[in-house]
Amino acid sequence: MNKPSAWSSREESLLLLNAYLDNELDAASVLEIERRMAADPALKLEHDRLVQLRGVLASQLKTQTASNDLRRRIEEMAEETPPPVVQRLATPSRNRIRSYAWREMAAAAALAAIIAAGGTYAFLRPNLGSNEIAAIVAGHQRALLAATPFDVASSDRHTVKPWFDSKLALSPQVIDLSSAGFPLAGGRVEVIDGKPVPVLVYQRRAHIISVVAIPRAGQKDTTEPSLATTNDGYFVIQWHGRDFDYTVVSDLAENELDEFVNLWRHAARGN
Amino acid sequence: MDDRQRFREVVLPHLDDALSLARWLTGNVTDAEDVVQDACLRAYRAIATAKGINPRAWLLAIVRNTAFTWLAKNRPKTAVTANDEALFERASLEMVDPQASPETILIGKIDAEQLHSAIATLPLPYRQTLILREIEELSYQEISKILSIPIGTVMSRLARARNLLIQRLVMAGKGKAGAA
Repeated sequence: MNKPSAWSSREESLLLLNAYLDNELDAASVLEIERRMAADPALKLEHDRLVQLRGVLASQLKTQTASNDLRRRIEEMAEETPPPVVQRLATPSRNRIRSYAWREMAAAAALAAIIAAGGTYAFLRPNLGSNEIAAIVAGHQRALLAATPFDVASSDRHTVKPWFDSKLALSPQVIDLSSAGFPLAGGRVEVIDGKPVPVLVYQRRAHIISVVAIPRAGQKDTTEPSLATTNDGYFVIQWHGRDFDYTVVSDLAENELDEFVNLWRHAARGN
Repeated sequence: MDDRQRFREVVLPHLDDALSLARWLTGNVTDAEDVVQDACLRAYRAIATAKGINPRAWLLAIVRNTAFTWLAKNRPKTAVTANDEALFERASLEMVDPQASPETILIGKIDAEQLHSAIATLPLPYRQTLILREIEELSYQEISKILSIPIGTVMSRLARARNLLIQRLVMAGKGKAGAA
């Protein structure tokens, strides 16, 4: 393919623009694409069109309404089928390998080569160490299935902090957010990567929020933006704090969890 | 809470989204209803595992898996066709009308039919990626895992899918026949 170099830069801008609108860029790349847009009216126009398309898709993709007949069939099916006795603990398979995978892979490899050559990978948000996240989410799930999601039940941070100190000889900051509607429920200890780590448990209405604090001795508090991802339907937000890396897991709506994290980090800096 | 009651609370509120997802994955409403009904049975059997997780994401993941199984069984030929691959190679991301004046920013008044046919004619890999993003609202990383493709490919498929849609819709808006 014999393309002028302006083409790849244009192509890269469009790829970045999509990732930007999908909220998949790291902070530096967000600045970069915003700078490019400010300098390039045609790119800004493309941005506006994509925003418009997104609006149209949002309203036009979810147009189906389940007919009363379908609803009735599904409700009847639940009535007629005996309740499940065996609990399947495995979640639905997410890595289905389909028969035509190799053909896709060939095409994908060709494209990936083009993209990698442009260095586009570097612009994506960093991979959050998905094994660790999977372990943390699994811990949260286990805690939800247990009789209580905490080992020490207390809404008083002056009870929870000494409890961690006595168990682990260390404790993360225990922040009281009850006035903002996120009362502390207690704490538990989890084993992540072979090491016991403290977990703070907060509540929001019927939802449980786990705050996993992995020790990073000597680490300073930062104001870096938090990184959000999802795993098995849970929202996961991570950030680096003083002496700990924090990971928050919950089934709470993402905006509420964001609010929680912002309040928590703000209060932690004030302490 | 009894399993039947939990099923009603977890699954039934999201039936419309489940049907929309299945409709776009299978291509038509009749097949989508079969897929959703089958998925609901699977969801019911696994309802105990739904405790504490985002019910919509959980149900939609089951619907997607059911749809993929259904497609593999009923439409083995909907795998990537030679035609799609050619498109893959050929399609470059093009700025739509770089010299367009602000008045032509608008994609134009789009009727549902135009959009639906524009989506229906997207090559399958583009369409699937777009649907996982726009209906299931999955992250690039999740889509990459589900479709077993690198994240860079997720990125370029989404960009190309949207680019193709915009090109087609702008053409349609101008009243010209045919697509880009």
